[in-house]
Amino acid sequence: MQLQWFGYYFDGQSAIRRNARIYLEPGNLRIDLDDGTMLTWPYAAIRQTQGAYAGEHVRLEHGGEPVEVLLIDDNSFLTSLHQLMPSRAGGFHNPAKRFQRFQLTIAAAGASIALVIGSYFWGIPMLATIAAPWVPVSWEEQLGQSMLEYVAPAEQRCSDPGRLAKLENLVGAMVVTQGETKYRFKIHVVNQPMFNALAAPGGHLVIFRGLLDRTENAEELAGVMAHELQHILKLHVTRSLLEYASTSFLVAAVLGDTSGIVSFGVEAAQMLAQMRFSRQHELEADEAGLQMLLAARIDPAGMIAFFEAVGKDEGQMAPALSYISTHPQTELRIARLKSLIAASAVSYQKLLPDDSWEDIKKICPAPVIPAKQ
Amino acid sequence: MATDLDTPTQTLDAAIHSTYRIHFHGRGGSLFGIQIVNLFLSLISLGIYSFWGRVKVRRYLASQSEFAGDRFAYHGTGQELMIGWTKAMVLFGMPLFILAVLQVIVGIESDLFDALQILIYIVVGIFIPIAMVNARRYRLSRLSWHGVRFSFRGGVRDFMGIYIKGWLLTVVSLGFYYPFWQNRRQTFMVGNSFFGNRQFAFDGRGRDLFLTFVLHMILTLPTFFLCWLWYWARVQRYYAEHTSFQAARLRSTVSGGSVFALWFGNGILFILTLGLGWSWITVRNMRYYASHMTMVGTLDFAGVMQEVQTATATGEGLSGFLDLDFDLG
Repeated sequence: MQLQWFGYYFDGQSAIRRNARIYLEPGNLRIDLDDGTMLTWPYAAIRQTQGAYAGEHVRLEHGGEPVEVLLIDDNSFLTSLHQLMPSRAGGFHNPAKRFQRFQLTIAAAGASIALVIGSYFWGIPMLATIAAPWVPVSWEEQLGQSMLEYVAPAEQRCSDPGRLAKLENLVGAMVVTQGETKYRFKIHVVNQPMFNALAAPGGHLVIFRGLLDRTENAEELAGVMAHELQHILKLHVTRSLLEYASTSFLVAAVLGDTSGIVSFGVEAAQMLAQMRFSRQHELEADEAGLQMLLAARIDPAGMIAFFEAVGKDEGQMAPALSYISTHPQTELRIARLKSLIAASAVSYQKLLPDDSWEDIKKICPAPVIPAKQ
Repeated sequence: MATDLDTPTQTLDAAIHSTYRIHFHGRGGSLFGIQIVNLFLSLISLGIYSFWGRVKVRRYLASQSEFAGDRFAYHGTGQELMIGWTKAMVLFGMPLFILAVLQVIVGIESDLFDALQILIYIVVGIFIPIAMVNARRYRLSRLSWHGVRFSFRGGVRDFMGIYIKGWLLTVVSLGFYYPFWQNRRQTFMVGNSFFGNRQFAFDGRGRDLFLTFVLHMILTLPTFFLCWLWYWARVQRYYAEHTSFQAARLRSTVSGGSVFALWFGNGILFILTLGLGWSWITVRNMRYYASHMTMVGTLDFAGVMQEVQTATATGEGLSGFLDLDFDLG
C-alpha cells in the first residue's frame, strides 16, 4: 500500500509551483515542501475539484480565498485514500466506482431519450390541453382579429347581408347543440377562388368563394363548418401556440449548453411538432364535428360527399391546395367518419328547407371573366 | 501526463527564454458523458439544472487545458450563473418582453409600432456591449492557473463608448472603419486583462489590418464569402502576435485552410450524428486552437502575485449600475 506521493503545491499567494511530498496520515494529509515547511490538512477541510475524469490530475483545495492548491498526478492516491480511510474519503472521487458512473450515464442517456419522446408525444399536448382554457377570450379575439386581417382583408369580404344571415343560421343550428359557449361566431366569405376554409380563434369562420362554389347543398357546407367550428371550440390555435412554445422550451432544455445550435434545433423541432400536432387536431375536429352534425340532426352524408370530392381532387391535382396538404389522408378520414355514422341512429332534418342553395352561393359578386380577344 | 510535468519548461520560477505550449487533453467521450447527464437532469428540473450543467462542462474544459505543463481550473458555480441570468432577464429580458407585448397591442398599422421597434433596437444595442464586458469579467475572474486567478478590470462605460462610437463610424464609413473598431475592442479586452497582479498588453494597430480587410472585401463575391475564413485566421495570428504578458508574446499558427478543414469536418460530423456529436466537435475545436497557440519569451511566475478582485466593481452612476457580473454564454 502506497502512503507517499509526489505532487505540486501552490500557496494561493503567488504563481510559484513548489514540489511537495504528500503523506496519507490517519486524520489529515501531511504535506512536506522543499524548504522544510510542513503543512497538515484535515481531510474534512479538503475539497477535490479535479480528478474525477480520465486523464485529469487530482486537484485538492484547502482554505478560503485565496485557496491553497495541491496537485497530484497519480490517480492511485484516491484509491489508497478510499482503501485506508473509507470513513474520511466520502468527499473524494473513488476511481473504483467509475464503471458504476458509466452505467449511470448510460441510464441517464436512456431516460433522457424516453423523457424527450414522452414529452413530445404526450407531455406537450397534455400540457397545452390543460393550459389552453385558461387563456382569456380577449387574447384569443385579439389573435383572431389579426389573423383575419391577414387572410380575409375587409375589402375582399362578400357582405351580402341576407345571404350571410342564412349562412349564420346554418352555423347557429349547430352551435346550439354545444350548450353555453364563450364565443360569438361570425362568418366571413372571402372573394377568392381558393378551395379552402379556416377558423380563426375567438369565433371567426372564414370561407373562400372557391370552396362555396364547389358545394352542392347546405349539408356539404355544414360538414366543413362543423369541422372548423370544432377547431375554435377545442381551442386548437391556442393549443398550437402553447405546443409551439413548449417545444421551444423542451429543445432549449435539451440543448442547454450548446447555444450555437439551439436556434437550428428549435426550428427543426417546431416544424416537426407543428406537422404532428396539426394532424392530431384535424382528426379531433373531424370526430367532434361529426358528433355535432348528428346532434343537430344534419345529414352527415354532405360531409362525406364533400370529403370524397376533396379525395378525388387529391388524386388528380398537385397537392398545392392548402386545404388538403395540411390535412390527414382523406381516405382514412372518410373511413373513420363512416364507421362513426354507422354506429349512430339519428333521423335527419333538411337544412335551410325554404331556400335555394344555388342562390345562397351567389353571395359574392360574379368573378369578372376576361373577354376573349 | 507525468512526462508533461517533467519537461524543461517546468522550471518556471527560473526566467528562461522559452516556448510555452498549450495542450488540450479532453476526450469527446468524457464530455459526452457529462453532457448527457446534464441533459437528463435539465429535463427533469425543467431547465434549471442547465446552469450547474454548464459549470460542469466548463470545469472539464478548463481542467483539460494545459499551459506550460500545468492545467487551468474553473471556479464558477451554478448558483452564480443562475443569478447572473436572472439579473439579465430582469434588466433586459423584461423590458424587451414588455416592448414586444406593446407592439402587439398597438398593432402593426400604428405609428407607435415603429417607434417601439426602434426602442427594441436601442435596448438590444445597449445590452450587447454590457453583456460582452460582464461576461469577460465574470469568466476571467473564475479562471485560475497555478492557483492564481485571472481578472478583467475594464469598465462598462468605457467599453460602451468604444462600442457605440465604433459602430456608428463603421456604418458611416460603409464598413471601412471595421478593422479599426475591431482593433479598439481587442485593445480594451486584452489590455484590461490580468493574471494575478500582472497585466496583459496589446499593441496591435487597426491600420495594419486595413489593407487586408479591403482586399477581402473585394474578394468576397469572387470567393463566395470563403475568403473571410482566411481574414479571420489572419486577424487571429495578428492579435496573438500583439498580445504579450511580461516578456513573452503569444504566437498563433491558425490558417484559413486548416480552419476550413476543421469546420468542414465539424459540419460532416454534426450531420452524420444528427447533432449528437457536439461533444466531439467541441473537443476538436479546443484541440485545434490549443495546438496552434504558443507563448514565446520569458515568464517570471515568481513575480505574479494573487490579487483577488471584489466580485462586483462599485462605481458611480451608469457604470456602477451596469457592472452586473453576469454571464449568459
